[in-house]
Amino acid sequence: MAKLTIDGGAIEVADGTSLFDACRLARGEALPHFCYHPDLSIAGVCRLCQVEVEGMPKLTIACNTAVRDGMVVHTRSEKVRKASQQILEMHLINHPVDCPICDQAGECGLQNQYMAYGLYDSQVTQGDKVHKTKAQVIGPEVILDKERCVLCSRCVRFCNEVTKTGELGIFNRGDRAEIGVAPGQQLDNAYSVNTVDICPVGALTSRDFRFQKRVWMLKSADGVCAGCATGCNVRIDHEAGRVYRLKPRRNAQVNGSWMCDEGRHTYKAVHADDRLVEPMWRGQAVTWADAKVRLAEVAAGGFALVVGSAHQALEELCLLKQVAAGAALSGGLAGSDMGVGDDILRSADRTPNRRGLALAGFAEHGAIELAALIRAAKGAILVHGGDPAAAPEVAAALAGRQDVVYVGTHRRATAQAAALALPGATWAEKAGIFVNRQGRAQAFAQAVARPGQAREDWRVLAELLPAPAAAPGSLKVLREAVRAQLALDVDLDRLPADGALTGGEA
Amino acid sequence: MAIVLESLAKIVFMFLLIMGMVPALIWAERKGAAYIQDRTGPNRASIGGVRLAGLVHPIADVLKLVFKEDVAPTNRHRALYALAPWVVMTVAVSTYAVIPFGDYLTIAGRKIPLVVADLQVGLLYVLAVASLGTYGIVLAGWAANNKFTFLGGIRATAQMISYEINMGLAIMGLMLIFGSLRLTDIVAGQGGLLFGWLPMWGVVLQPLGFVLFITSVYAETNRNPFDLPEGESEIVAGYHLEYSSLKFALFFMAEYCHMVVGAAMISALYFGGYQIPWLPRPMLEKHAGLLLQLVLGLTVAASLLFAVLFLRRVQREKGKFGDARDREPVLGAGFWIIVALAAAGAFALRPGDIGATGASVFASLFQVGAFVGKVVFFAWLFIWVRWTLPRFRYDQLMRLGWKVMLPLGLANLVGTALVVALIGNGK
Amino acid sequence: MSFEGLSKESTEKRRSLLESIYLWEVVKGLAVTGRHLVHNIFHTGDMPTMQYPEEKRVYSDRFRGRHRLMKREDGTPRCVACQMCSTYCPADCITITAAEHPDPAIEKYPATFDIDLLRCVYCGLCEEACPCDAIRMDTGIYEIAADSRDKFVVDKEFLLNEQTRGTR
Repeated sequence: MAKLTIDGGAIEVADGTSLFDACRLARGEALPHFCYHPDLSIAGVCRLCQVEVEGMPKLTIACNTAVRDGMVVHTRSEKVRKASQQILEMHLINHPVDCPICDQAGECGLQNQYMAYGLYDSQVTQGDKVHKTKAQVIGPEVILDKERCVLCSRCVRFCNEVTKTGELGIFNRGDRAEIGVAPGQQLDNAYSVNTVDICPVGALTSRDFRFQKRVWMLKSADGVCAGCATGCNVRIDHEAGRVYRLKPRRNAQVNGSWMCDEGRHTYKAVHADDRLVEPMWRGQAVTWADAKVRLAEVAAGGFALVVGSAHQALEELCLLKQVAAGAALSGGLAGSDMGVGDDILRSADRTPNRRGLALAGFAEHGAIELAALIRAAKGAILVHGGDPAAAPEVAAALAGRQDVVYVGTHRRATAQAAALALPGATWAEKAGIFVNRQGRAQAFAQAVARPGQAREDWRVLAELLPAPAAAPGSLKVLREAVRAQLALDVDLDRLPADGALTGGEA
Repeated sequence: MAIVLESLAKIVFMFLLIMGMVPALIWAERKGAAYIQDRTGPNRASIGGVRLAGLVHPIADVLKLVFKEDVAPTNRHRALYALAPWVVMTVAVSTYAVIPFGDYLTIAGRKIPLVVADLQVGLLYVLAVASLGTYGIVLAGWAANNKFTFLGGIRATAQMISYEINMGLAIMGLMLIFGSLRLTDIVAGQGGLLFGWLPMWGVVLQPLGFVLFITSVYAETNRNPFDLPEGESEIVAGYHLEYSSLKFALFFMAEYCHMVVGAAMISALYFGGYQIPWLPRPMLEKHAGLLLQLVLGLTVAASLLFAVLFLRRVQREKGKFGDARDREPVLGAGFWIIVALAAAGAFALRPGDIGATGASVFASLFQVGAFVGKVVFFAWLFIWVRWTLPRFRYDQLMRLGWKVMLPLGLANLVGTALVVALIGNGK
Repeated sequence: MSFEGLSKESTEKRRSLLESIYLWEVVKGLAVTGRHLVHNIFHTGDMPTMQYPEEKRVYSDRFRGRHRLMKREDGTPRCVACQMCSTYCPADCITITAAEHPDPAIEKYPATFDIDLLRCVYCGLCEEACPCDAIRMDTGIYEIAADSRDKFVVDKEFLLNEQTRGTR
């Protein structure tokens, strides 16, 4: 342990801690910085995190200095303040200050830090700037503005260290130095938008989000990516009932600071044209009241087969099991929703909650097995989420049946095949828990309102319970019931920020 | 048969007089209020560019009200709700039956009294009918089933009871003096001169009675400062809040009818009705020719003055509006020139020798004119007072009625009775 | 603070006998209003009333009238769709959709720029917020009337057109 004094206060940190982290602890906020990133190597190029260490002849950058016992550090002295001001002035020399058209405005390191530490009475003139290429498409997801770049090299380090693809580099010297891709190459790795996230200025911006919304208008909700079994923690940025983008939320246990490009596009399904937004009876839109009447007709004697899905939240699956009340259970199609995985983040399993499905006691079946189960069912069938009818065998088994009830979010094959389709909510429109491939239960919060007549899935399922009077009154009560049902020793309503491992086999 | 025709003619004349005065009074109210408040008032509505200083506005108002949707509350009492405005209107008009608007008219040897119904109990009839007006207001307030209209109705009732008594007490003084309840007698009795130079008007004989009476009339007509039944600061619009379209128009017109009735009562009871001071009927008939010439001469002079005023506007306002209104000065000037020419022509014909019958008719018309002039003045006084005085508070209204006016009225009655007992009445 | 120093007369003035009879005061009041009436009949020109459509008040050059959008020399809108105005707008009356401009030197332009004139409070904060001097309220237009609400929502072409008056 090292004991040191920062801004007059004593602090004790582990040996080998960087002075930057020690200062963050002591100050309660990070030092100004561009190039430092907790999940990347130290570059020390922006020179903004300079602090005054007694005994050292000059200011030193905190990110590249390890703590030493007995250090006396000043981060708010006049010398440090002036240094930060001048460094920021330097970064601004060739910056175009085109904030009005820059998507980064509002979450820009240069803006924010200039507001906090800048000189204000700037010495930089708008004339004689070195002009570079603007709005250059460098990949399927990313657009580059070389003028705005402060050459922090975060993106270069990301491509070298995390994806190890090395597409980006710094070319030229002095005030002509610029970020770029090698001729004939593209920034087309599966994680390329992370460079946009870590870019402290607007040099790299997302083509998908470009000009869609000014960032200060967005509201955020903490979510979990439903794109695959990894369960990357995300921030759902939304406004006026619409999700605009997903940004990774740091969780060192799951995804670090990253997420894949494919996961960022999952929000589009929330606003897809084929959303199921009102109850459908044999292809006709009906009201919920009518739907309940139809439901009583179709499933008067309860269900003979209940099919779950790895796309649904843990609470819903447990409630679904109660709805089944001993009837035949299926977890849906085994091996459905598979894609390409890698050893960075992406799982081949493209469902968010397959572990949760198993935990809740649902076993998946192959298409032929599932079709046999459907044919064997002597009563109504309830399908919750997923799209098992995408398999031709299942579709054939479902064809002609008039007693299939589907609860889901999109008008896909299963919704079309069902006699009664009830609109549920997507992950952005409800709160719930997914169990990722590590067996880690992670909670996600509701971001936007549900479209049309759609309802939270658990409330829909509660109506289907054999004894609706016994239905849980709130999600909190339901979560308590789930905890008891699964014999977990965590409070599911207050999961830790980095999730809780549920144990069980991998 | 002749008497039926006579009566019909008189009824029609009275009705047209009232109905003709209503739009004029509405105009006077709006324009007068505007001028008192340093505004220009209505001056936009026009027929072919002629605006008549805003006199076209009442026509536009009526048209608007006729074509408006008749919105009525669902839970009203249908029959009474529909009846109420008619009660108010009918009562307002029927008071006129007993008010003499002239002495008599002699046509073909027939002496026609210029009053619709010369009742012996005319004063009692006036009091009885006037108090019926409250029924309309109370019914309107109650039938609309709205708490504000209901409050308006209650206020009207309480106010009417309080001031009806004072009105009756005030009139009783006159009754004692003239020894009759017949209105024609009362008006005829005011024709003489007191001490040879003072017109023997009711206001001279009964100054305190006049003050009490005019105050009560203002309260009875629900005009400012006694318009508490429709006090918009507390009860929105009072009893007629739930009325719209033509039904509202009826209430609106009834208010002005009441004003005309009130003004006619004041003129008949306290200002000699059709009597012209120092100019009794025999003298009128004697100098009829001269008076006619005088009237015609004055008409010529006034028309020429108006024509000159319009001609000045022709020059000054050339192309001011850029629409039909630019024609207005020319049309106005033309109209007044034609009137002046017509009057001058009549003047030149020297109608001095109109004969005895002509003189009698002229004298009657002259007296009717005097009566109408007095009514117009007092109707204007209603408007003038409205835009001068603030509204009473309800407790002030009650205190004034019961604690001030009632004792004064009683004192006046006793005083008058004593005087009449000592020196005899007017007969 | 105490009220002891204040004399009672200041709040409750004693009326003289003449005043308490009230009638004389009524006559005085009638005289006041009658004076105004007569004066105004003979001096109609002295009235402060403006005969509005024919006469119009001259407003200061700084008067904030209906908005307009400024143009570049080539006639395209100066606006770069930064949405500062819509962010600053206290009435939330400006709706802008941004789009990619073919010229990378301009980069961003407003695909739509709608102002709801019924919501606008004419505070002028949008002009103040604009970094490009693209929105101005110097037209002096205050005659804003229409017969349906949607006509008060004016779009980019309307605001760019220097000939437009009032609403759509």
